Amino acid sequence: MGILKYITDMLFSIRTTLWSLWLLIALLFAGAFVMPAKEEFQTIHSMPLFDWLSEQNVAITWWLWASIAVLILLTLNTLFCSIQSVLKKRGVSNFLLVLSPQIIHIAFLFMLFAHLLSSYGGFKEMIVAGEGAAFQLNRDGVVLVIEGIEISSDPAGYMSDWSINIAYASGEKLIRKDIIRPNSPSLYEDFNINVKDLRAFPQKAALIQISREPGALWALAGGVLFMTGIITLVILRVKTSRE
Amino acid sequence: MFKLHILSLILYGAGIFKRPFLYAGLAVQSAYLLSRGLELHRLPLVGAHDTLAFIAASAAAFAIPFGINLNWNSKYQKGAALLAAAFTLFSMFSKQHNIPLPPVLKTLWFELHVVTAFLSYALFGIAAVLGTIYLIEKVEKNEALQYKAILIGYCLFSASMIFGGVWAYLAWGTYWLWTPKELWTSILWLFYSLYLHARLRPWWAGKPSAILGIVGFGVVMFTYLGVSLLMKSSHSF
Repeated sequence: MGILKYITDMLFSIRTTLWSLWLLIALLFAGAFVMPAKEEFQTIHSMPLFDWLSEQNVAITWWLWASIAVLILLTLNTLFCSIQSVLKKRGVSNFLLVLSPQIIHIAFLFMLFAHLLSSYGGFKEMIVAGEGAAFQLNRDGVVLVIEGIEISSDPAGYMSDWSINIAYASGEKLIRKDIIRPNSPSLYEDFNINVKDLRAFPQKAALIQISREPGALWALAGGVLFMTGIITLVILRVKTSRE
Repeated sequence: MFKLHILSLILYGAGIFKRPFLYAGLAVQSAYLLSRGLELHRLPLVGAHDTLAFIAASAAAFAIPFGINLNWNSKYQKGAALLAAAFTLFSMFSKQHNIPLPPVLKTLWFELHVVTAFLSYALFGIAAVLGTIYLIEKVEKNEALQYKAILIGYCLFSASMIFGGVWAYLAWGTYWLWTPKELWTSILWLFYSLYLHARLRPWWAGKPSAILGIVGFGVVMFTYLGVSLLMKSSHSF
């Protein structure tokens, strides 16, 4: 009973928030120096984070594991404190001032959930392809065809624009055509097809990346919620300080 | 055109002593940035030279409303002018990025990402000045204004991270990359989150949170200049 009370008290406390944030900052600080120094981190984007972590030596990933542990604590702490704050201050006159930080907290949790989803179920593959190349996209037999690569340069020789005409087909049947441009990937089902690099000589070729980020929509929702909460909070704080 | 940049430095320097020079420095530096934009046919926000000049002008601009609130406290005026002058000086010794932008940078998401980031850096700088003055004069209003500057800066910095994530997803298929810059950006965001939460605790109110706000600006500077210059990432100069 005593231990349970200690744990719940700890989860309801803003002191836990502060200690968790300090710890997280210290761990990421350490990671910011470990990461560039170790070659193993070159492959961190090649697979989902948890798959990558399971393959690496803890001697170089300890700070990531510890950060995940602190984030779990911070998630519980955020949930407990937010619920407590809303319940305690239900009747106050400026309820929006109580609610807006909690919207920010929910948005933070959305973003953490997004990272969790992507760290488990993310997918990434790179393919070098020239005009006319085709490769299978999924198990249903959908094929991605590179129909044409256009690269334009300015008079000084710098690449000014590019586009890649692609087609999705299944057997002989054309599903749809699309164009990939800078900052405009082709989205097919839950795949994001974009271009990482291009080459005009000796033959036109593109480094195509096929990726899947299951957390992308959650992250976007979190971003929208976060901005809603923080803008409301800023307006209310500025307003109340003037009154 | 570069003469405008030199003139703005001189004016900010004079602004340490007389306020109208700070206004004049801002006007001249804005004209310089405008002329850079017209010359490059884009927002002059790529590379250390232009971004430092943009932070200097933003710091001078943000200094005005806080200055009015403080009846232009002379220490604050000195600090704000010194901040703008320092950024302008560093900008003068940084290389200009005059080549056309690669296609991936020609998007509104990039512009929103960098504009909000550098506006937030300027506000964090002003917050550090306000915190320093609070430590010297012990007037509570300075600390309250420091909090306000950090809160607005935090809002803009968060917006920058969100815009950057959307842009990265569209450009590179992912909203997050494990690079030193992203890690330091997270450290910075967590640090100011810590400041905003710590200020709610009685022990942290006043002097400790003012110090935290000043240290935060050190983290800003390392995230912006240190990481960009010393560590390899998509944000390198």
